[in-house]
Amino acid sequence: MPNLALATLALHRFGFGAAPGDAQQIAGDPRGWVKAQLRSSAPEPAAISALPAAEDDLLAFGRWLASRRLRNNGGAQIARAAEREGITPEQLRAFSLEESYVAAFRDRYAAAVHARITAAVVSPEPVRERLVHFWSNHFTVSGVKPQAVALPPSFERDVVRGHLQGAFATMLIASCQHPGMLIYLDNWLSAGPNSVAVQGRGRGRRAPGVGRITGLNENLAREVLELHTMGVGSGYSQDDVRALATILTGWTYARPDLRDFVSDRVGTRAGGALFTFDPAMHEPGVPTLLGVAYPQEGVAQGVAALTALARQPATAQFLATKLTRHFLADTPPPAVVDRVARAYRDTDGALPAMMEALVDSPEAWEAPLTKFRRPEEYLIALMRAIRADTLPQGAPATALAALGQRPYAAPGPNGWPDTEEAWMGADLVWKRVEFAGTLAGRMARADLDAVALAEGVLGPFLSAPTREALTRAESPEQALTLFFACPELQRR
Amino acid sequence: MRLTRRALVCAGGLGMAALSFPSTAFGQAQTTAKRFVLVILRGGLDGLAAVPAIGDPQFERARGGLAPPASGELAALALDGTFGLHPRLVGLHQRYAAGELIVVHACGTEYVDRSHFDAQNALEIGLGRPFARDEGWLNAALGALPAGTGRERGIAVGGAAPLVLHGPTPMTAWSPSRLTAPSDDTLMRLQRLYEAQDPHLAMALAAGQDAAMMAAASGATMGGGGGRGQSLVPLAQAAGTFLRAEDGPIAAVLEASGWDSHSGQAAPQGGLSRSLAGLDEGLEALRVALGPVWGQTVVAVVTEFGRTVAMNGSGGTDHGQGAAAFLLGGAVAGGRVIADWPGLLPGQLSDGRDLRITTSLNGVLKGVLSEHLGVSNAALARDVFPDSASLRPVSGLIRV
Repeated sequence: MPNLALATLALHRFGFGAAPGDAQQIAGDPRGWVKAQLRSSAPEPAAISALPAAEDDLLAFGRWLASRRLRNNGGAQIARAAEREGITPEQLRAFSLEESYVAAFRDRYAAAVHARITAAVVSPEPVRERLVHFWSNHFTVSGVKPQAVALPPSFERDVVRGHLQGAFATMLIASCQHPGMLIYLDNWLSAGPNSVAVQGRGRGRRAPGVGRITGLNENLAREVLELHTMGVGSGYSQDDVRALATILTGWTYARPDLRDFVSDRVGTRAGGALFTFDPAMHEPGVPTLLGVAYPQEGVAQGVAALTALARQPATAQFLATKLTRHFLADTPPPAVVDRVARAYRDTDGALPAMMEALVDSPEAWEAPLTKFRRPEEYLIALMRAIRADTLPQGAPATALAALGQRPYAAPGPNGWPDTEEAWMGADLVWKRVEFAGTLAGRMARADLDAVALAEGVLGPFLSAPTREALTRAESPEQALTLFFACPELQRR
Repeated sequence: MRLTRRALVCAGGLGMAALSFPSTAFGQAQTTAKRFVLVILRGGLDGLAAVPAIGDPQFERARGGLAPPASGELAALALDGTFGLHPRLVGLHQRYAAGELIVVHACGTEYVDRSHFDAQNALEIGLGRPFARDEGWLNAALGALPAGTGRERGIAVGGAAPLVLHGPTPMTAWSPSRLTAPSDDTLMRLQRLYEAQDPHLAMALAAGQDAAMMAAASGATMGGGGGRGQSLVPLAQAAGTFLRAEDGPIAAVLEASGWDSHSGQAAPQGGLSRSLAGLDEGLEALRVALGPVWGQTVVAVVTEFGRTVAMNGSGGTDHGQGAAAFLLGGAVAGGRVIADWPGLLPGQLSDGRDLRITTSLNGVLKGVLSEHLGVSNAALARDVFPDSASLRPVSGLIRV
């Protein structure tokens, strides 16, 4: 029997909201609609496929950096490097005069945000897009760090989109092998203190702005334990952080060089294809992590350690809690968390199985829609409601900056917070209301019926006070503002 | 954010008039003329980079490539015989000379486990155990002041109110905006809708509207334009403008991120140098914007932890323990360094790697809140920094 209430709930809880007519389309089997997307074979959204590859992002950043250095104080050094590489002064001059890199860079960011939002707004599989956002936030690579500024979009595409239907361990390993994460959390700058690169004769390994790499950098290892797998306070020690950092030494990426920068080559390789293991940077020996020795050689040591971390019971619990909190409630029902964690353990971390356990929980269809939409979710829900599938390039990025959630620019490696407390603030709510009013001002027409729109989007969840307020509004613009800002649309 | 008194009032149906017409609070002075600014540096400022212990004979050996040169433009700016300031902290150095800056070193909270997020939580709730409560110490401190007639006592400038401001005392937040607000009539209808269905939204909207009105009245809207994560200067100017008003908030919180210097931090044009220069400019802009109330102001600059004493393998530093903090302002009895210096010999370091914490940051903050704002010792020990009766407030921080 068609069930409009459950269909509307599914669209808001598991998707990105609804447009009028959406609920009717899936009312025959709302649960089936959600679950079909977990193992869907639909291709990557077109907007995403049009984005440049990770290698090209690296080239863009490298070009920008090198051209800036050439103009500023590092010119002599680069000229010497060019001579070594057989690059002619003419090539170098043409390159250094290229003023468009910075602008191209900004456009690159706007295009990536636009693609992400467009995919979420127009996708016939919004549940899948929600999961992309969830895991992309779990494995945050933030452009706030200058060296990583171009990489979050390709990281999201290569690591998250590419592994949504696989095991968590696979996504974790892909994350630790992507230039985005390797750069964001500094692992490419980490070398074993007793490695050939550090102890051997010769120049060793150098990095711009860093100089010679002389030993460990703990950054990635700590966040893998704290944020990506077991969670803080779950029983690992400072020694385990060091051990994992040791294990991951040598995990780096194929760095483009000056020859690539002066060419007009377009990078085509995805992030995973750029991963390299540098044996000279790897710390020799048999490290012990969480009481287990890792005698493996080379990259296999890290793969074994990350696989074992993914199998830790603490990891199952941590991920299940986070996933359930995201979809159901700030205080996730323990029974659901247990079921999701069990599904994770029973399937060796199959991501679709976790979601199926969540979707098959009765609580998923009974709990009230209390989750306060984050700014990006809110913006997408508004776009979906009005079927705004064409937006001016740059508009979503600008709006989201004002709303406090600039995409690909979370403040830290823990990503954007996922509880109401973090977002229900005076300034953020005020900005939402301003945004609702601004959007309504652009959209409102005499023939746009806010009440009908609200009924179509919210179905049985439209409250009597909201309906009354919309009915009594003094103008179409006011009615639309009240609808865009109404409490029901703020929550999912 | 917890329900504030305002929200409780409107939940009871009594607050409608006050909510719809927040301007009734205009022209009412706060309960104190004193002002307090908290600047949170997120990411873990390297205290030994900001405040190098150049007089410690172990310093150069312990810091290796991160030690500043003895002379030249990259040399530290001398404070006393032991400590100096990073060469980009020119403004702070002037405040020190003017007797308006106290540098606190080797300080921290009780939390020592090196997670950014737990450490920031502990820093903001005022307890050694992260997540032990969901209220901030500054909210509690402002709540402990005598009843007054002013509007919100605290404001976050630059975005969402951080945890340190969360709690039952009414707070607000503000950041520059390029959007336009709906009409007053639309706002009133929306506020009614929120009150009927969603008290949390109602509370947040009322406070946001208050902040927007304060900003309009004080001219802070003109200072804007800088997005999040951008320069501290426009936000510092806005904060100064808010606090300068007689009926403005008593306390403001500013945040700056980008202190997590895992690599290449010694480079003269590197990220850390730029961040420190930005901080210095921001604090100077704050001083200028506060104008006549600078003399009544204390600015506390704090971070969640210090960093490893030794350089890591990438020319940076990893997460550590003992940190540096600053107290500045016209009300500060400054021109000195407060440090019970733990030393930099390998055996003197915590876990063989970190500067040991020898001064309680919460003890320093208790001293400021007590002597400057007049928060009672009982409230400090019970509500502001719970169960901290045994932690004596550091005295003599404030000019008398």
